[in-house]
Amino acid sequence: MSENVSVTFVDGDGKQTSRKVGRGSTFIDAAQDLNLDIAATCGGRGRCRSCRIKVLKGILPPPTIMDQVQLGPDEVHEGFRLSCQTKVIADCTVLVAPPIAEGGHKILGAGVSEDTQFHLDSGIEKKLVAANTPKDENHQTSDMEMILVALGEPVNGDVPIEVLRKAPDVIRAKGGSLTVTTFNHRVIDVEPGDTTRHKYGMAFDIGTTSIVGSLVDLETGEQLASVGGVNPQAVFGGDLMSRIAYAQFNPQALRKLRSRVLAEINGYVKEVCGNNNISAGHIYKMVIVGNTCMHHIFLGIDPTYVGLAPYAPTVREPVVVTAKEALLKVNPNARICFLPIVAGFVGADTVAAVLATRIHESDHIRVMVDIGTNGEVVMGTRGRLMACSAPAGPALEGAQIHHGMRGAVGAIEKVEIDGDVTCETIGGAPAVGICGSGLVDAAAKMLEAKVINPSGLLRRDGGEGLPEKIKARIVEGDNGWHFVLTWAKDTGKDEDIYLTQQDIRQLQLAKGAIYSGILMLQKVMGVADGDIEELMLAGGFGNYISTESSVAIRLLPNLPLEKIAYVGNAAALGAQMALLSETERRRATTLAREIEHVALATNPDFQEIFVKAVVFGDETKRKSRTRTRTKVG
Amino acid sequence: MSEPRLKIPEGWEERAPEGWEWSELWEAVEVGKHIFTDEFVRKAIDTGINPRTILDDGLFPGFNLQGDRFTEQIIFIPEMLITARAMKAGLALIRPLLAAQAEKPIGVFVMGTVLGDMHDIGQSIVAIMLENAGFQLTNLGTDVHPDKFIETIKELKADLVGFSALLSTTVYYQKVTIDEIEKAGLRDNVKILIGGAPTTQDWADEIGADGWGRDAVQAVKQAKRLIAEPRTAWA
Repeated sequence: MSENVSVTFVDGDGKQTSRKVGRGSTFIDAAQDLNLDIAATCGGRGRCRSCRIKVLKGILPPPTIMDQVQLGPDEVHEGFRLSCQTKVIADCTVLVAPPIAEGGHKILGAGVSEDTQFHLDSGIEKKLVAANTPKDENHQTSDMEMILVALGEPVNGDVPIEVLRKAPDVIRAKGGSLTVTTFNHRVIDVEPGDTTRHKYGMAFDIGTTSIVGSLVDLETGEQLASVGGVNPQAVFGGDLMSRIAYAQFNPQALRKLRSRVLAEINGYVKEVCGNNNISAGHIYKMVIVGNTCMHHIFLGIDPTYVGLAPYAPTVREPVVVTAKEALLKVNPNARICFLPIVAGFVGADTVAAVLATRIHESDHIRVMVDIGTNGEVVMGTRGRLMACSAPAGPALEGAQIHHGMRGAVGAIEKVEIDGDVTCETIGGAPAVGICGSGLVDAAAKMLEAKVINPSGLLRRDGGEGLPEKIKARIVEGDNGWHFVLTWAKDTGKDEDIYLTQQDIRQLQLAKGAIYSGILMLQKVMGVADGDIEELMLAGGFGNYISTESSVAIRLLPNLPLEKIAYVGNAAALGAQMALLSETERRRATTLAREIEHVALATNPDFQEIFVKAVVFGDETKRKSRTRTRTKVG
Repeated sequence: MSEPRLKIPEGWEERAPEGWEWSELWEAVEVGKHIFTDEFVRKAIDTGINPRTILDDGLFPGFNLQGDRFTEQIIFIPEMLITARAMKAGLALIRPLLAAQAEKPIGVFVMGTVLGDMHDIGQSIVAIMLENAGFQLTNLGTDVHPDKFIETIKELKADLVGFSALLSTTVYYQKVTIDEIEKAGLRDNVKILIGGAPTTQDWADEIGADGWGRDAVQAVKQAKRLIAEPRTAWA
């Protein structure tokens, strides 16, 4: 039994939380036991700086190699450590000090503003009926029989126990006037009096990073509210793979992930009901989409094997459960509908996005690209659709980039290079880091200004021949060459904000994954760039990146810019469509079956495609460098 | 940081026929012209140049130059891959001839990607570097079951085994594979090297690997270090 020591965490607001922990446990584990959220974007592997802490009092063990690599000698000397790497060895007080305050997330909400037309048939019917109570003792009948007689239409299936428990009061409360609610002809609720006006549903897109949802009036189709926030599972690994690894072979961790997302969704339910003055009991249908892993975790299905080749999901067919089975606090017999899945890494969110973008009705080749930690590409026309997953990793969310950060206040999101460098930040605040869209923009402008070449090499000759002010920004630092975007004096912190050669390489891998996915489907389907009628950028991230820069660095193929469109959070829109229309929900099932899945990494052409996709141009130049010949001796 | 330069093997002229030039091959490997490399090496073999000389004087210089550039982050995976492809073309022709000359490898190395993992791009670079370093290499490819590793280790009486995992979800199988090797009673016969993007030295220590290759170049360094360490001889 290890002896206990006391550890106190101080958060950004000065709030203190203490507990006794076993000597030798890591700080991040101690924090999690206290329900303190320290983001471990890399999954607690010492590969990022998101879980940084600073010692205020007490003794820390010597820094680990990962502390040194991630934080550098200066920060380590100042008492910073990675909480995932550092063990508690004695009583101490530490400050939770993530590198950047990530307040004010710019997360896309869902909205049915498109000209997408569909028939309103949510499957939820509410009917006001006048039921008689049983009168005759000789000819026995029952409350429920009398209600169904009054309903006057055939119903399917058994009446749920909750309805039976309510029936005796409901049938007698208002002289037999009551409202029966059915979902596809199954009775799901009875209420006294006329409640037919209250018929609501919610749609959710549960992403690895963020959750967006909406409350919709199922009678009118009107969106009443939208909600959203960061997926609270993110502290257990920022990207999908880290998330699966956390739950791998560990039922307790799976329960933890599940209860986190359930609490979040139930929180949203409470919030929208309160704000809109409606009863949660009047929410009868939910449509939930998400990638396969989020889908499985939500349902309490072990996602372990989704993370291992051949990445097979446990179920691909649409799953419909009751709210009480799903542990959601809406009407207990509300139907919670999960859209179908195509593959381990092409999930219900992609199916929903296809539904919303109507690729399956297109006469010409259209492509949908969802840029994210685990991106997806869908390509095709009426008659043939193909999809593949394109794992970009978290670099485009700012992770594993030296000065990287999420899209929050102070993040550089736009870069101009014209004689000198000008950066725009989110909220116009002094720069504190760079987010994914800024990274893409910076790389494109650096490429144009010849600060980097198409192979991704950052100039190592001090920028010969470049304008003086640009030249001055190419600096050789401790970790090799870097390019300064914002000088320390203009930032919101006391250091230059720059991109390193390593950052450029990380971007190449990320964008290379997405572009590989597109190139692979082009190759399999025999589609040339010129055949593409439209390329749609879906997902939260897609809205913020510059299409021009994305094409310049070949994150996207070399298409005329007018062929590239932002379609917003198509997955959330698709979920709303399936919420409002059973026809659309059925269509999703057909679509999911029709989409052909293409595996990227195991395709024999992958290496060749990857080589093309990672560079910032269309062709790797096979040109020898000038060199000085030296003899070894 | 100094720019890596082409290291021209000293005295190559004495080992080559009158008027012979290697420079075209050096450049072909460097820029990854695999067809040209194949043709050039065939020509060298037909001319009667010693296979070891073709390897050392003809193929190595361009490859090593790229290897150095890769380490210095001057070039990236695509350039390294096309160089590796050219190198492979040359090696494929030389390898049987070297075997015929009964050149003794510095060690027998079995490698592969662990169960559940289909990624092999980095692995192909490591494989070629190990082979260049003089190891007799068997690459089992991707998604390799622990039993397959064990079977191959036994069959080849391997000195080293290396397995990579490229996903946070598959590193688990590095541990499983080591445990299985232990259970099979082979742990003292082979040295174990691990690698792959999500791995760290700590992870290597935790699962009881003998070495961790941060990247391809480090993997080779570690392999050379481990081959010199004592281990139980094969019966």
